Amino acid sequence: MPELVIENLSVGGPGRTVLHGVSLTVRPGEFVALVGGSGSGKTMTARSVLQLLPPALGVQRGSVRLGGQEITTASETELNRLRGGRLGMLFQQPKKMFNPNRTIRKHLLEPLKLHGGLRGRAAEAKVLDLLAEVGFENPEWGARAYPHQLSGGMAQRAMTAMALAGQPEILLADEPTSALDKVLEQQVLELLDRERIQRGLGILYITHNLASVAAFADRVMVMQDGKIVESGTTESVLRNPQTGYTRKLLEASSLAPSGTLDTVGGQPDVLTLANVGKQFGSGRRRGRPALDDVSLTLKRGEILGVLGQSGSGKSTLARAIVGLETISGGTMSRALSPGAGDAPTAVQMVFQEPHDSFDPRMTLRASLEAPLRRGLDPVERSRRLGQVMEDVELDPALLERRPGDCSGGQLQRATIARALLMEPEVLICDEATSALDALTQRTILDLLQRLNRKRGLSLMVITHDMDVVRHMCQRVAVLYQGRLVELTDTHRFFADPQHPHSQDLVSAAIPCRGLHLKRMRAAASV
Amino acid sequence: MLTFLAKRTATLVAAVLLSSYAVFLIPYVTPGDPVRKIIRSRVAGDVVDESTVKALSDSLGLQDPLPVQYLRWLGDFFTGDMGLSHISRTPVADQVIPALGITLSLVIVALGTAVVVALPLGIIAALRQGGRTDKMITTITQSFIAMPEYWLAPLLVLVFALKLSLLPSAGWSTPASMVLPAATLALRPISFFTSAVRSGVIDALEAEHIPAARARGLSRTQTILHHVVPNGLVPLSTLFAVWFAGLLGGSVIVEVIFAIPGMGRLLYDAVINSDIPLAQGGVVLVVGLAVAITTLADFLHRILSPKVGGTLA
Repeated sequence: MPELVIENLSVGGPGRTVLHGVSLTVRPGEFVALVGGSGSGKTMTARSVLQLLPPALGVQRGSVRLGGQEITTASETELNRLRGGRLGMLFQQPKKMFNPNRTIRKHLLEPLKLHGGLRGRAAEAKVLDLLAEVGFENPEWGARAYPHQLSGGMAQRAMTAMALAGQPEILLADEPTSALDKVLEQQVLELLDRERIQRGLGILYITHNLASVAAFADRVMVMQDGKIVESGTTESVLRNPQTGYTRKLLEASSLAPSGTLDTVGGQPDVLTLANVGKQFGSGRRRGRPALDDVSLTLKRGEILGVLGQSGSGKSTLARAIVGLETISGGTMSRALSPGAGDAPTAVQMVFQEPHDSFDPRMTLRASLEAPLRRGLDPVERSRRLGQVMEDVELDPALLERRPGDCSGGQLQRATIARALLMEPEVLICDEATSALDALTQRTILDLLQRLNRKRGLSLMVITHDMDVVRHMCQRVAVLYQGRLVELTDTHRFFADPQHPHSQDLVSAAIPCRGLHLKRMRAAASV
Repeated sequence: MLTFLAKRTATLVAAVLLSSYAVFLIPYVTPGDPVRKIIRSRVAGDVVDESTVKALSDSLGLQDPLPVQYLRWLGDFFTGDMGLSHISRTPVADQVIPALGITLSLVIVALGTAVVVALPLGIIAALRQGGRTDKMITTITQSFIAMPEYWLAPLLVLVFALKLSLLPSAGWSTPASMVLPAATLALRPISFFTSAVRSGVIDALEAEHIPAARARGLSRTQTILHHVVPNGLVPLSTLFAVWFAGLLGGSVIVEVIFAIPGMGRLLYDAVINSDIPLAQGGVVLVVGLAVAITTLADFLHRILSPKVGGTLA
């Protein structure tokens, strides 16, 4: 199998350069990680290998070769043969990468026909083979399914099947797991690693998640501002980082456990849920309850982590607490301190996708001021706004911008500011940092912790990220299929998880497990 | 999908029942004696003396409660007995059904032409988005919106019938006589369809799964043919149905100008002459057909765009 060589590659367009002399090599059977914050040029590197750059950008200098064949000067026909054939690609957000109007089967038939010349019955059989290979328990169902019927994990498997259909020699995996939870991430990466071992597939794994890098990659390249700033074996880079940027990335992804466990002992409850249930649909369409007999309390100044896989009822719980869903059973009470303002605004929520939680046509000022319009005069509104902007450490000049002109991190701060304007007692963060890169995520988490300490704000942190929980939560609640299966102190949870699902979560969260496995495999193959 | 089908069919039936009930009530809410009006639509000869009116009113069940009368009227209607026209004194069905046939063929030809013209224009405009071709197509087709039928039709007649003597100026005898009215009717749908196709295709081009398709090795042309155009045309199916339903009764101006004995013309005459049974027959047919077409379009949309349907394949 040939190797992929990128040499001194510069990519840019009129007035800007996004890649500055990038060089890297992926050899057959090698798992190479390319890490960096958002905007560092990781994705552009992958896209220039496939020559699928945005229209304004082009290769300015340097070369990309696959087994000696120059790609930057290849003809469109040659490129079409390479793309999806010898060069496979996996994308972030797998569900959006399928044509919503076509079945998975139709998607898989395309590369089979284009690159393998397979048609008719042979192609149909291969579709089922591929789906089985990537771990579909029922390949027939998977083939007939439309993309929206697949879960995130299944969609990424299906996309992997699509990439494998062309018998690739090199696989470019662009954050293939960042939309997935830890357990699914582990499974998808193990799948890729198996292909690497069995077929000698070379993998360029792009990510901002250093924990998964530690477990799987042979070598790591760190990218910043379109340059590779550090490279070496996984062990040397992670153990002994040479640049401040790498250290910052490492620090951001290995969130230290929190040490503030005893501060909330004697505090009163601010939120009490007793036997809360939620049932969607009615009659024959009644499914499994989204929430089933959930009871928990939140104390003043407490940070409670809520863990669970997608579909476990985490978001329904959050939406029920803020009143976006009605509950179909049980009681919910907000025992708020006297004089806490009117109850409906005392619980606020921060959503996952900052770009989706603002009206794109309104300036941030207009968005943030809207809820204050009842009862406050313009001067007072402006004063309150200035104050929360200071609290969330945002430049007040940003208020005049529209969401499209702000970064994810800035917008997430603005979302928090919007919540704080209502002077809440409880802030519910529904995957508030999972759309952000590691560095931004860290600053948002720091901000939340500071607000928690300074204002005595109670936080309910809904996440699938175990590191976030370990880093900042005092107690952990685990939801599984709508039921609360575990509620305990964070340190006890990580030391001795009780429910089988909790045990799965904890074991998947420990990166060393994978690293050990990989070392054992390496030792066995020598 | 099955529950959706059942639900939509139920809505369809309800809509037809409700609107037909309103139509049934016309003789009761318009000035004059409803009994005499109804008798006139049921009995061929002229009835003048009170005793005959009384006798007929009894035998036709006109003293029954309204819902009972309605059900009887509806039953007659769907078995083809739509009563007698007040003016021509011939069965309404014999006039309404041929008229509907004429309008249907006119609308099908007009909208078919509109689709055939709008598809390539919209697709080309989208692929050349922002370019000179796009601007030209968009400007010209958009200007069609501002051309009312009562202005365009005489203009076309003036040019193609009177000056050039290429096509007949009115009537409904030869296929050639269909050209001018169909062209007049097609013009505005062309402009709406083109802009729908254009924006549909632009949305489809910008979808995130397009680079993924390219990364699988599909050429630009293959991607456009398999993933962009089919997805971009989904919105057109709904728009088409809305126009189809609208033109069934809305072709009246064209039918009057070109002296076409179609549905619009028939309803127009019925209203002008206060020919209640004729108007009733026409309205119920048009409403029924319009509702059926939009329902069909809903089904089609669900099939074309499975995510909307949420169906298990």
